[in-house]
Amino acid sequence: MKTKKLSAVLAVSTALTLILGACSGKGEQSQSPSSSAPAASPGETAKASDKPAEKTKIIYWTAGRHDADYVKSAIDKFNASNPDNIEVEMTIMAENFAQSLDLAFASNQAPDVFSATDVIDHSKKGYLEPLNNYLTPEIKTQFGDRAFIEGYNMVDGNIYSLPNSGSTLRLVYNAEAFEKAGIASPPKSLAEMVDAAKKITEVGKKDGLYGFALPYKNPASALGRSAVPIAELSGVPGQGYDFKTGKFDFAGYKPVIDAFKEMKDNGSTLPGSESLDIDPLRAQFAEGKIGMYLSYSSEPGVYKNQFPIKIKWDAALPPTIDGTYKGIVNQGVGASRWLALSSKSANKEAAWKFMSYMYSEEVLIGYQENGLGILSVPSVAQKANKPDIAGIENFLPGEYDGMWPAAPQGFSPEGKTWQEEFMKYILVGGDFDSIAQDLNTRYNAALDKEKAAGTIKAEPMPDFDPIKLQGAAQ
Amino acid sequence: MRTWRRSAEPYLFIMPSLVLKLIFGVYPILWALRFMFYDYKGYGEPVFSGLANFERLMRDKLFWESVLNTFVYAGGKLLFTIPLALVLAVILNGKLRGRQLLRGVYFMPTVVSTAVMSVVFYIIFNSYNGLLNQVLKMTTVISEPLDWLGTDLAMFTAILVAAWGAIGNNMLLFLAGLQGIPKDVLESAEIDGANSWQRFRYITVPMLGPVLQIIMMLAIITALKGYESIMVLTGGGPAGKTEVMYLYMYKLLFPVSTGESIPQDIGYGSAVGFASAIIVGLITAAYFYYSKKTSRIY
Repeated sequence: MKTKKLSAVLAVSTALTLILGACSGKGEQSQSPSSSAPAASPGETAKASDKPAEKTKIIYWTAGRHDADYVKSAIDKFNASNPDNIEVEMTIMAENFAQSLDLAFASNQAPDVFSATDVIDHSKKGYLEPLNNYLTPEIKTQFGDRAFIEGYNMVDGNIYSLPNSGSTLRLVYNAEAFEKAGIASPPKSLAEMVDAAKKITEVGKKDGLYGFALPYKNPASALGRSAVPIAELSGVPGQGYDFKTGKFDFAGYKPVIDAFKEMKDNGSTLPGSESLDIDPLRAQFAEGKIGMYLSYSSEPGVYKNQFPIKIKWDAALPPTIDGTYKGIVNQGVGASRWLALSSKSANKEAAWKFMSYMYSEEVLIGYQENGLGILSVPSVAQKANKPDIAGIENFLPGEYDGMWPAAPQGFSPEGKTWQEEFMKYILVGGDFDSIAQDLNTRYNAALDKEKAAGTIKAEPMPDFDPIKLQGAAQ
Repeated sequence: MRTWRRSAEPYLFIMPSLVLKLIFGVYPILWALRFMFYDYKGYGEPVFSGLANFERLMRDKLFWESVLNTFVYAGGKLLFTIPLALVLAVILNGKLRGRQLLRGVYFMPTVVSTAVMSVVFYIIFNSYNGLLNQVLKMTTVISEPLDWLGTDLAMFTAILVAAWGAIGNNMLLFLAGLQGIPKDVLESAEIDGANSWQRFRYITVPMLGPVLQIIMMLAIITALKGYESIMVLTGGGPAGKTEVMYLYMYKLLFPVSTGESIPQDIGYGSAVGFASAIIVGLITAAYFYYSKKTSRIY
């Protein structure tokens, strides 16, 4: 009897502890709206402790790893030479950047300057200082007339970040595999892409070479670098938002997603793509195991520094649905974003001086010439040489690169995202039309809710025609 | 004075853990209990939304799929873990040479970080250059690589990894239970002519009853709550095939990167957390009710 009682008590208490434990743990990490405990900002702390030297310390957090060495050397130079005794401390927060930033702002330990990774979200959270008052007409002219676009680096007329460089999107292909399979040129249409993937797999499978791959482990990453540019170049809005009607309509994606599904079903897609992130995929491409994939203009840098490539490779415009170009690939040559100023910084003037240095010709020109990005500040881009990096040539912006208007952002439809729904269709199957219909219903309901609340303005643009966007980036 | 001291002593002893429990255990629960009635995305003022989050929960296919996945994952994990842990415990409770070393070896996964362990398993299981596929190809068991983390096999692989991590701990608990069985009972049975299977079936297992009940309960709760290794191995994919309840809750509350497939929603995430805890609690209570007989020793 005693044993039974004891075991019951033990069991109940253990169960309680574990169930309670399930809900605890990281609860403290999320930001509380009421957290307002006053604490010294990094700048203030530095001011107090560095009194003899009177240095103003600026904390800078970056989400970028690929340009870290170059940025670090630029900062070292700034620290050594700036006349205002400003000292910048840079921290690379590439992993969990969003979460770290939330924690930092919740605990009043936010950096003074940080990567503007999500202007919409961060402006809503009150993290960002508008830069309008810092920007003189001369500075604005220097950035050009396409530098500030609502939804990219501006929210409700407030400029939160300035452009530095952008990325273009291309089909990256293994030239040796194409040659081996007897394919003369990179595919221009989806049908040609499917056919090329099949041919490459037929000749290469015995050696572990497959025609196509995407990092399907992360649906947003996989489709964002592939299905989106294909759709956009074909004149289909990349985020499913039809600018003409002001409503979401995902039906236009059908041929693109069907092509990916066909390459999965017929065995032309690299086995294991379902669990691939982009870096392991690049490693496999560098080894010559993949015929083609789609990605950003960071690839040449990656194959120079991160994964030394063993094959002859090249890049080409993404294919389109029927081989004709009815739109442009949306990318950041224009109103891109780089650095943001914290609304909580105790040393905003000093932080702005640092930002001004980072946006100076000296730093930006070096940024492009070192192959870290394609400059999107026209006045500076004219003075910079082409990036000194193999394979970059076909990534340089052309007639079919530019900027689409910004689709509505900062709202959450219930259930799965369009990327997850399409991914499931590619991997598991289903009825595309009913999936698209369900997405339209959910996305439009969420959009209508935000529009009614006045948080999103999404007016139809009846005259919108993506073909008119062509040629603007040149 | 002495009486006061005597009566205060126990409370002073439990004070540190009680304070920590209140701060790190109870406070977050109260916090979540409040926010599950709010529309709160992590910024701005939380807006009271009544039962809206629960209405969403009822029609959220993703959540109910994750509940189903959790049952498959937990069931599979128990199916592998409990029998293997018991068999190992019985073997290592015998007079085997090197049994102390083997106990240590089997217990080792318990002290290894789940994230590290999962990364190692990712390297073993990934289909394009994973160790397992290479060995299977070399030994001509397979001709084409198997997609261990693909839509068909990802859940099975996640279960295998979870079972590997859990067997050692359960084995240790079984060992403790086995050592509590009086030797004279087993010796009497042996003298009466019972063979080793009969001694195991009719003496060891029944006398392990109360311990077995606790081990099973702990294993059920841990399996239903598990998500860490899945997060590293598959991130809940592919196509949501390994999305379990607590991983879904985690993604809603702590999006790890910008552009996460599931956008941050603290209000709804709290409701998902509450519903998940209730599901775990109900299953545990039901198990406890229906396993009453197990705890009886005749």
